[in-house]
Amino acid sequence: MIRAWRSDALVGILPLAALVALWWGIVAAGLAPRALLPSPVAVFGRTLASVADPAFLLHAWATLSRLFAGFLVALVLGVGLGLAGATNRFVGGVLRPVVRILAPVPKIALYPAFVLSLGFGDASKIVLVVADALFPILLATYQGAARVEPKLVWSALAAGTSRRAAVWTVVLPATLPSILTGSRIGLVVACIVVFLAEMITSTDGLGYLLVRAARSFQTVEMFVPLIAISALGLALNGALAALRRRLLAGFPNED
Amino acid sequence: MAQAALIDPSHPPEQSTAPRPAAVEIAGVTKTFQRRTGGTHLALAPIDLAVADGEFVSILGPSGCGKSTLLYIVGGFVPPSTGAVTVGGRPVTGPGPDRGPVFQEFALFPWKTVLGNVAYGPRQAGASKADAETKARGLLARVGLSAYETFYPKELSGGMKQRVAIARTLAYDPAILLMDEPFGALDAHTRLKLQNDLLALWERDRKTVLFVTHAVDEAVYLSDRIVVMSRQPGRIKEIVPVDLPRPRHRDELLLDARYQRYVIDIERLIEDPPEEAGA
Repeated sequence: MIRAWRSDALVGILPLAALVALWWGIVAAGLAPRALLPSPVAVFGRTLASVADPAFLLHAWATLSRLFAGFLVALVLGVGLGLAGATNRFVGGVLRPVVRILAPVPKIALYPAFVLSLGFGDASKIVLVVADALFPILLATYQGAARVEPKLVWSALAAGTSRRAAVWTVVLPATLPSILTGSRIGLVVACIVVFLAEMITSTDGLGYLLVRAARSFQTVEMFVPLIAISALGLALNGALAALRRRLLAGFPNED
Repeated sequence: MAQAALIDPSHPPEQSTAPRPAAVEIAGVTKTFQRRTGGTHLALAPIDLAVADGEFVSILGPSGCGKSTLLYIVGGFVPPSTGAVTVGGRPVTGPGPDRGPVFQEFALFPWKTVLGNVAYGPRQAGASKADAETKARGLLARVGLSAYETFYPKELSGGMKQRVAIARTLAYDPAILLMDEPFGALDAHTRLKLQNDLLALWERDRKTVLFVTHAVDEAVYLSDRIVVMSRQPGRIKEIVPVDLPRPRHRDELLLDARYQRYVIDIERLIEDPPEEAGA
């Protein structure tokens, strides 16, 4: 088991290493002007230095807190609406057309409107994260809940559980695999979108750091927030995968 | 006394079941499904059936005869299109803990351990966690799975899963067991073992059992009466009282000419081309 995991991790690291090697090769061969493409050594060195820099950590924390706030609201809303839509005919009837219309809308296009109504602070960015992370979670929850084996619910109802209680004690746990799949997508989307929002208008956060560095042609500093956000995404994904293993211990193994 | 009469082979089952109160009364129940392509499909023609308290009744028929649908209607999981079911004199409007289902697919909660599955009913009825688990442990001991209480259902074999499912249902002490081809997904050996265990269980508790199956030998081995159904539309073709002594033992029964006769007759009854009935 552990050996398999190790070899999986190894296989996953190889293309990353190849990418960095390619980057280093381009720089070493002088194929790209050093002012535009700094060497990976400089970038990773600066990234490591930044991790010890309190000012940088404050920016990272700003990004992370927005990401978490938005993701958690999206999770609660998405799971709640998805469950309600799948288990209540009226809610489902109202929800389906609304979701069909709103899901394909590029939420980033709504960001100027959010900024105008909510200001430049955290609120507009969090709302944007919610708007983008909500739909993958909602759709996955809805489809998962709609496909719960009816006999699971019947078994609960026959045991004397009310229909309302069966939603919490049966439909929700039975939908957990779908919810976690949707959350995984929602989390990646949240990483992307919080960074974008910070690039557009912000005075802090990793996205802001990137734009600030770009405007002053500090190419090394420009790459640091990128590496930071991808490391953050990797860590969050890993945490979610660990949570998944724990929560889904009893479910049939996926592939 | 009525139960004693049931064991006595000298009494025809009609006499032994007649004086007992009906546990389940199915009156004029039909089920019509809407076709996706439009139009309707009559799955169950009017069904009338009374099941006595403590009686073991099998519903036997080919696939598509609506036998499971009939069971789900008694369970309150599926509403009838017309007609009514009364259980203990009260009309069925939905599922309730007086009728415990056992499904072919087990339908165990995958996120709960064996113990958690069995403790679910008592917990829902308001028992404390400790009390519910004590009760669940007692039932797991009865089905021989005490060593597996911390296992998840996916870690068990089919036969063990069905034992857990039966224990989960017995945990809320339903008066009536609704068994939907419970041993249909099991291998032959496990199937025989669970049949024997179910008989032992039933002979002890004498719960009313409605047992859906397509296996003739299983129906004859277990039942007081066999309701033979035919298809298109699903309806009762014949009700066969099984006048075999109890407690039944497979090895004795297989040599019993009456048992063999029942199996042969009922197989013939099923093989007969279904008479075309106007839908």
